[in-house]
Amino acid sequence: MDMIDPQPGCSGGAEAVLGLQPNSSISIAYHSLFGTHNDLLLLEVDEKLLPEILHERVTLRGQPDEDAVLCTASKTYAVKFVGSSNSLFLIPPIDKKVSDLCKTKDDNNMVVASVIKVAPGCMELVEVAPKLDKLKLLLSQNPYSFSETSDMDISEEKEKTGIGLYRWDDLVDRLQASDEELRLGLQSLSAIEIDGYWRILDDKYTNTILNMLLHNVILNDWSINALKEDEVVGVLETDGFPRNIATHCLQVYCCKVDEGVGVCSTWKLDERRVCVHLAREILKEGKLKIEIFMEKWMRKVPDGMHASFDMLEGEVLTEKLGMETWVYSFSVSSLPSTPAERFSLLFQERAKWEWKDLQPYVRDLKVPGLSSEGLLLKYTRRTQPTMDAEPIFSAR
Amino acid sequence: MQIKVKCSCGEGNCPEWAIVELQGVVEAQPSFQNRLQNLQIGVLCRPSSQESYTFTVGYHELIGTKVSLKKPILVLKKIKLRKEEEEEEEEEGEDDVNSAGVELDVIGVIRHKILFKTRPKALISKPQPAVKEKVGAATVLQ
Repeated sequence: MDMIDPQPGCSGGAEAVLGLQPNSSISIAYHSLFGTHNDLLLLEVDEKLLPEILHERVTLRGQPDEDAVLCTASKTYAVKFVGSSNSLFLIPPIDKKVSDLCKTKDDNNMVVASVIKVAPGCMELVEVAPKLDKLKLLLSQNPYSFSETSDMDISEEKEKTGIGLYRWDDLVDRLQASDEELRLGLQSLSAIEIDGYWRILDDKYTNTILNMLLHNVILNDWSINALKEDEVVGVLETDGFPRNIATHCLQVYCCKVDEGVGVCSTWKLDERRVCVHLAREILKEGKLKIEIFMEKWMRKVPDGMHASFDMLEGEVLTEKLGMETWVYSFSVSSLPSTPAERFSLLFQERAKWEWKDLQPYVRDLKVPGLSSEGLLLKYTRRTQPTMDAEPIFSAR
Repeated sequence: MQIKVKCSCGEGNCPEWAIVELQGVVEAQPSFQNRLQNLQIGVLCRPSSQESYTFTVGYHELIGTKVSLKKPILVLKKIKLRKEEEEEEEEEGEDDVNSAGVELDVIGVIRHKILFKTRPKALISKPQPAVKEKVGAATVLQ
């Protein structure tokens, strides 16, 4: 036997290594195609993720300057490369045909398993929260406004240039979130798909259509707990709102009471959402003394609804100036969703927080693998002067 | 940007690959450095019915075991979906920064490895046959 002979034995692959019988041996050699093979990557996955991956329901998402994430239908995972100082000899299986040939050879030759590459390490997955802060930013570039309903030319022009207009696929390309998380993100922004583009309505538009709806409720003597979809949408249409936006308004400010089968669906005004919207409108111009705010708010709230200050958790803050209490707008939905940035902004707003004030601003923070207590421990300092005093949270 | 993860093996038919893992690196003698292809690294032996193995590399013997991985490892192959217009660009810079038009194909799954986590033992009393020495001229470096 000479060293020039390339394959001294017959070839076996991974099967031969893993199925090695007791009292036998196998030669391990570099493959005839051995090399760095940078196109071959190793990815460690949880057993329960395997079916999703093998059924091709998984994608990697990210911009060139971002760390890639892996998205399943509903979850997002960070991809981390973990290097190893050990040598990982990677042995592929062999073609069936070759192994058949193998059997015809005489048995004196030792089976050879070939190493295609020495892997420098393996990629691992860590579940993370979706990165959706950019979604609001993207959709805010070009919110839907009155000019588009009234003036078709402008809308056509915008369509041509496409500035700030995003289709579903454009959003998927730009955001690191799974489809389901992206859908929830769009929902929480009350976004609507208009002519194939995902849009948010600008403040003025939203305000006008809601006020028109509330106005029509009074005018037509509708019950706020039983709004007939066809009727409401029809009336809003005659008021000049496109049909799809009228329906969207119902979805955002009402909840469906019963799904009409054959007949039209019935909706009920969502007390909390309507009241919160009205409060936001009042506080838009700036802070108000609490008595004045409450009076204005109560006046705006439609008959049959009961506004209470508790509804404004996570929407407004109060501060005492001398004898007076002032209310100002501070909405959790305007805050970043990554814990570090969120807490930093919160402590800029206020150096010390009581738990009852802080809780509405942190309860939506979700970091996989970290409890809400864990989050507080990591980002805040908790002080409790006496046993029965309320704990106070400040920056670490 | 989105990169699809595909699996062309068909449902549940991903072939199993194997890993032989050992500490440090195997370094071939300088004369083989640039032509490792087909060179023997060593001999893997299963001396008994237990899942214990020896791996003999040159004058060194390693002792290890077969380990089932807690989580499976997928073998992915990066596939460039070349479009004709893009081909010219790519010739200029074979860079992965422009990974538009890339797919990942799952071509295998790894569920077991043969792990040698101890340092090698020198085989002084049992020199290898001269021919083997030539063919498998490799030593384990720590």
